[in-house]
Amino acid sequence: MKGTIRKALERSGADYAEVRLEREVRTQVLFRKDRLENVESSSDAGGIVRALVDGGWGFAVFNDPSNLEQKVKEATGAARLVAARTKEKVELAVVPVVEKEVRATLRKDYRKVRLEEKKDLLESYNRILLGEGSKVVSTVARYTDSFREVTFANSEGTYLVQEVPDVTLMLAAMASDGGANIQQAFESFGEAAGYEAVQGFEEKARVVAKRAVDLLSARSVAGGQYTVVLDPGLAGVFIHEAFGHFCEADFLFKNERLMKLMELGTEFGVKGLSVVDEGYLPGLRGNVPYDDEGVERKKAHLIKKGVLSGLLHSRETARKMGVEPTGNARAISYEHPPIVRMRNTYIEDGQSTFQEMLKGVDRGLYAVEAYGGQTALEQFSFSAAYAHEIVRGEVGELVRDVVLTGNVFETLRAIDRIGNDREMKGGAGGCGKGGQYPLPVTDGSPHIRIQNVTIGGH
Amino acid sequence: MKDILDRVRKEVDQAEVYHHRTRGVPIVFHSGALESIKIHEAEGLALRVVKGGRLGFSTTTDLADPRGMIASAVAAAAFGDEAGFRFPSDGARRAPAVRDEAVLKLKDEDLIDRAERAVRRLQEAAPEAEVNVTLGKGTETVEIANTSGLTVLEERTLIGAGIEVALAREGDIYVLGGETQGRFASDIDLERIVDRLVDYLSLADRIVSVPSKPLPVVFTPRGTIALLMPLLAGFNGKSVLLGTSPLKGRIGEQVVDRRVTLVDDGTVLRGPRSAGFDDEGTPTARTALLEGGVVKGFVYDLRTAARAKAAPTGNGYKTSAFGGGGFRSLPGVFTSNTVLSPGKETEEALIAGIQEGLLVEAVLGLGQGNIQAGEFSNNVAIGFKIEKGKVVGRVKNTMIAGNVYDLLKDHLLALASEPEWTSGSIQTPAIAVDGVSVTSDG
Repeated sequence: MKGTIRKALERSGADYAEVRLEREVRTQVLFRKDRLENVESSSDAGGIVRALVDGGWGFAVFNDPSNLEQKVKEATGAARLVAARTKEKVELAVVPVVEKEVRATLRKDYRKVRLEEKKDLLESYNRILLGEGSKVVSTVARYTDSFREVTFANSEGTYLVQEVPDVTLMLAAMASDGGANIQQAFESFGEAAGYEAVQGFEEKARVVAKRAVDLLSARSVAGGQYTVVLDPGLAGVFIHEAFGHFCEADFLFKNERLMKLMELGTEFGVKGLSVVDEGYLPGLRGNVPYDDEGVERKKAHLIKKGVLSGLLHSRETARKMGVEPTGNARAISYEHPPIVRMRNTYIEDGQSTFQEMLKGVDRGLYAVEAYGGQTALEQFSFSAAYAHEIVRGEVGELVRDVVLTGNVFETLRAIDRIGNDREMKGGAGGCGKGGQYPLPVTDGSPHIRIQNVTIGGH
Repeated sequence: MKDILDRVRKEVDQAEVYHHRTRGVPIVFHSGALESIKIHEAEGLALRVVKGGRLGFSTTTDLADPRGMIASAVAAAAFGDEAGFRFPSDGARRAPAVRDEAVLKLKDEDLIDRAERAVRRLQEAAPEAEVNVTLGKGTETVEIANTSGLTVLEERTLIGAGIEVALAREGDIYVLGGETQGRFASDIDLERIVDRLVDYLSLADRIVSVPSKPLPVVFTPRGTIALLMPLLAGFNGKSVLLGTSPLKGRIGEQVVDRRVTLVDDGTVLRGPRSAGFDDEGTPTARTALLEGGVVKGFVYDLRTAARAKAAPTGNGYKTSAFGGGGFRSLPGVFTSNTVLSPGKETEEALIAGIQEGLLVEAVLGLGQGNIQAGEFSNNVAIGFKIEKGKVVGRVKNTMIAGNVYDLLKDHLLALASEPEWTSGSIQTPAIAVDGVSVTSDG
């Protein structure tokens, strides 16, 4: 293969060309309510060529790599057309040539676990979900695993083979009181690990089903402004969705006003606030030893002591902004070119204990886990999976329908306590951007407290 | 395809092979300039088998050697779910037109010209704005063969465009967007989107405050998705079967205002998702969901219909809420084209009739509330204040919340007279309701 790829790249006629070929095997088991909705093992293979001609990009996506040379030519042709019609000339930052193989080692390799055994495990979780009483009207117990081998080569001489493991588990319960009151609760888990990572979730399944039932009798929160303590799960999603995406340089590197908004040195929060995007921590879903441009990972400090100190880069954005690439160019699969994405993104630990955060909060909310979230640049909207009232410094009753919304920059400045209990969480879904979903990422944070958050409600 | 069926036929009770091939050329303009062109060709196979009454599934991109897929599907069927249905034998029906020569003839250069015109007009309206445009055209070919004797094949054209405009200022970013898609070259109208965006850009500097209290709201056709997403969730046959739809057991009951009539129609002329058959080979159909506010029916795929003892409605799609899917996913229950009947007054007249309220064009956080129960709770991403019948400025940091069943039952002011294809494949006019709870910090 190596020889064929190298030859095709040499004959591209482009200023720069690269090939990324992928092979994937994956399985899925999905129970819904009392039925096994899917049990599947499948395979996938394909590739993409990127060619740069006179500053214009052309891409070609295909399944069959047998006429690679032809695909390289198609990408080069598309790039020529772009170059002829644009004044914007792309250039790439210089990076070292790499020749390397990155193999994955799994404690318990899920490719060797029989599909039936995976089905049995999920069936046992689903039985626990359903066992929490007649009010549980539906459930989801979903397992996925995927093992990808990604071969990357470019016309500069880089040749990389990387193995990318990923395993996820999703447990959800929907409860109803018979009328229109329908509530749900879930637990979502994902790691770059073996089969052992999804075993032993029996207790979590029980907690999920019980919570769905409990939410039926929980009060709906009244809309208004609250002091909110976020748990590590929700705080991690917040920092990823509301702030992290702003740090992806491809969103701002061609627009002066946006670049000014994200100028390094700008104060974004209290002194205790530091935010990091990390390319490798053992077992995390967002691990990218070398990114999809063949660039070795760098730890990116986005906020250091409250001050914006770095952005996330591809070779193109790094060149344009005169910095080094950080290894954040990622693609969800061979059907897409890499774009600037996060990896394992987290708020660093601060000083506060959870009890200290509650102190002095007369009327507030303790919001736990994100049920969903969406942002439009500075505006964000997240719904907590569930929440508790905070009354006179104590965690109180369970409440539901807690949707947090606001302006990210104002909200970052309103963080006044940062906990010392950081957790990292890779969910069962992933991140979406530019039509590429789901990309495995991990979010993390300690508990944080924010003043004056707008909560929607009836 | 026939080879695979023949090979597997002896081993199983039933089998279905699904072959999907796409060719598309997406073109991306970033920050006002052409950035890339992609030639996207993808192809794959999916196999469903029923053996001993149980279902197995597998997919592959290896068209030359599908043996792995066959073995996987047959192996999974040993402990798969009870199928309970038969693959359809008859896919024949008068199919809507789904292929437009004009799309095929469009040159990349033509698309680039169109995008450039849109970019130029938007940059004239707001020179500092970040303008991103994507547009593309292509074909998808779906071929389905099963052991019930069905063989169907359809080549469909697709064309679509999206525009995003972001205006960043000190302490304020104003983001606007629009999208259009269809099967016919004449279905997409970039100029119309640009007209609207230019109009909205003129309100960039007029930020006004909104009181936190129940208010009347006019949802533009694009904004109606905040209401229609929770509403449509209730008509999904699977939610009905699972008991998570509040409409379960309520066929024939008046649940919303008499002016509300809603159909799911996979055959409608020029519907963005119109096709001759769904992803299981079931002929597409017109299914009444609400007629005069009365619940008439739900949508089903083969498997859900069999379990609910209902007839399949041609709503088995290999897709997901996030798009994608293709051959890789199992078919599930999804709406095709959804059409909400229009009312009599123009959108302008609806706005003119409101003393104090909101005009909502886009929301954030779709699907985040308890949509199964008909609830929504969204940040207003693009919204405007209405005072004394006039749009006076845009609003920020504002949430709207409510229950779509309540609002359409007792609080429907009017449906506008101008329907529009939007939000993928929904045709809807603007909707005006009162009593929407509004929370705002500005």
